[in-house]
Amino acid sequence: MPSWQDFQPFIITGLALGGVYALSGVGMVVLYRATGVLNLAFGAVGAMGALIAWEIVNNTTWPDGVGYLVCVLFGGVITLLYGVLFGPPLAARDALVKATATLGLALILLGAMSWIWSDKARSMVLPTTNWSYDLGTVLVNWTQILALLLGIVVTIGTGAFLRYTSLGTAMRALANDREITATLGVPVRRVEAAAWLGSGLISGAAGLLLSNLVGLDAATLTFLVISSLAAALIARLESITVTLIAGIVVGLVTALVTPFLSISQYRDMAPFVLAIVALLFLSRHRVVSVSRGAH
Amino acid sequence: MATTTRARPGLSLGRWSSGDAVRAGIITVLLLFVLIPLPGMLSSYWVDVLTSVTVYSIVALGLNLLMGRVGLVSLGQIAVLALGSWVAARIAFAGGLPFPIVLLGAGLGTMVLGTLVGLPALRLSGLYLALITLMLAGAITVALRTTNFPNGGPGFLGHTEDVRGNPAVRRPDIAVNDPAYLRYAIVVGIILFLLALWHVRGRPGRAWAAIRQSEPAALAAGVNITLYKLWAFALASFLTGVAGGLLAAHVGKLYTYQFSTQDSILLLAVVLMGGIYSLWGAIVAGLFMRFLPAVLDNWGLPADLLTILFGVGILQVLLTAPGGLSQQFPRDMKKLAGLIARAVRRPAAPERSE
Repeated sequence: MPSWQDFQPFIITGLALGGVYALSGVGMVVLYRATGVLNLAFGAVGAMGALIAWEIVNNTTWPDGVGYLVCVLFGGVITLLYGVLFGPPLAARDALVKATATLGLALILLGAMSWIWSDKARSMVLPTTNWSYDLGTVLVNWTQILALLLGIVVTIGTGAFLRYTSLGTAMRALANDREITATLGVPVRRVEAAAWLGSGLISGAAGLLLSNLVGLDAATLTFLVISSLAAALIARLESITVTLIAGIVVGLVTALVTPFLSISQYRDMAPFVLAIVALLFLSRHRVVSVSRGAH
Repeated sequence: MATTTRARPGLSLGRWSSGDAVRAGIITVLLLFVLIPLPGMLSSYWVDVLTSVTVYSIVALGLNLLMGRVGLVSLGQIAVLALGSWVAARIAFAGGLPFPIVLLGAGLGTMVLGTLVGLPALRLSGLYLALITLMLAGAITVALRTTNFPNGGPGFLGHTEDVRGNPAVRRPDIAVNDPAYLRYAIVVGIILFLLALWHVRGRPGRAWAAIRQSEPAALAAGVNITLYKLWAFALASFLTGVAGGLLAAHVGKLYTYQFSTQDSILLLAVVLMGGIYSLWGAIVAGLFMRFLPAVLDNWGLPADLLTILFGVGILQVLLTAPGGLSQQFPRDMKKLAGLIARAVRRPAAPERSE
């Protein structure tokens, strides 16, 4: 059994990673609730935003801040564009079809990224990484703090937004029943567009943070969405509070397994295993045969 | 053979119309051509590509059955393929078993694992089932990255860093060189396609069709939903497992990077584009997956273009053409033929009116 000392640094990395998982998870859950689309291109959008930011930071004379801003905006714009173009024609289809369609976007972005930037591994260092805190035995940098804070702030902010604003109320209404909401005069398309934009901005921010915390590599960042999805799945794609908690737990468990040498190499399995166990546990009372369209 | 299946699901193999006979004749001639003279005519590069196409057609067939027949989506078929290769390599190093036994063992081993996975997953459906396959694929990929593939090392995992040039699975004695192995793979492929066809045309196929249309209705009609869904999982895993065995003997040495999550998604794209309502779609998918990249490579174009194209393909299929290429292409050809026929007839028409 490793000592407490061995765990300390991994608590920090775990919390930071968990924060980003929670952030991505919340972004996906909100979009899924409002539009019925599970955006599997979430990671690819963030990855491409991060690569564009890298390009601006390293190969232009523009201030670095522009790059970071462009990254977040790119996430918003691309996601919104997809939502406006492909959301309405697929609106009446099964959730599975909608999710599969976003894989099309993911492939387009993946192909474009590997064409433009090749598969070479890059590194991205946000300025916040250079400012660090000494917590006795471990060093905490501001990117890690930012990741966890952003996860928490976005969750609370989104919760309040859904609760207290009229747009948020419209989104909650859409999540419950599209037909009735439309009948009540809510501009469905516009509300959905807002959800796409918000979720896209979150994907850009998550991509930027992950490129620093994990590494800037198109395929890795794209498929890290699967790990974030684990948090969203544990929350059954419904509660953003549970998503936040699940995200942080997934991040922590993944990192805290590291000191156990015998299973250390298997730590990346943690999100998947947790999600599988949670999904199977949550559906243990479901009857096998009745299954269409249930969440 | 398969194009008639959907239109007339109850059609037995015995009652053939003349159209079917002509079609069967064309298919037989084509198959004989691909099987006998073609492998000898091609360079070793294209023989290699075609063997890959054969393997991936079988993998695509598994996904094609799951999606088109039962309406289940799996996002982790390449991980299942990796599992098949692992089992094949494991069996091959366990002793000098003949190659067909290794293939069968790989298929059955993967089938057992696939069914074990499928049993709890059947409680979930639609989106959630697809996502759990994605999670499982992720888990399998991470595990294989660490354990690697058996290559003659000690213990159950059987992996050693000591590289002595051991091929993962030895090819059968009758098909050691590349063209012969291509023929061997095609024969295995044909057997598996016939196995799938036999299922689709028989009782399981009808049960799957009922489940796809409406689960409550199928239940009311007395279809054992759990059994037939599991059956579909088992069959798809068996096909993919055998394909894994073929792949292992084809490439010689197995590495984890040959089985990426991205490939699972690409496979889904090409299977959708090939068409999920016809078994032909699986062959189109195999060609898309392994033949087109080789062609682009030959022309000096980046293979990333294809990734983009497949992404567009997913969207196009889901938006406008659920039947995929294997349905759309014949329809387009028929339309084209009609246009040509009209264009040919039109110049003649005015003369007659004058």
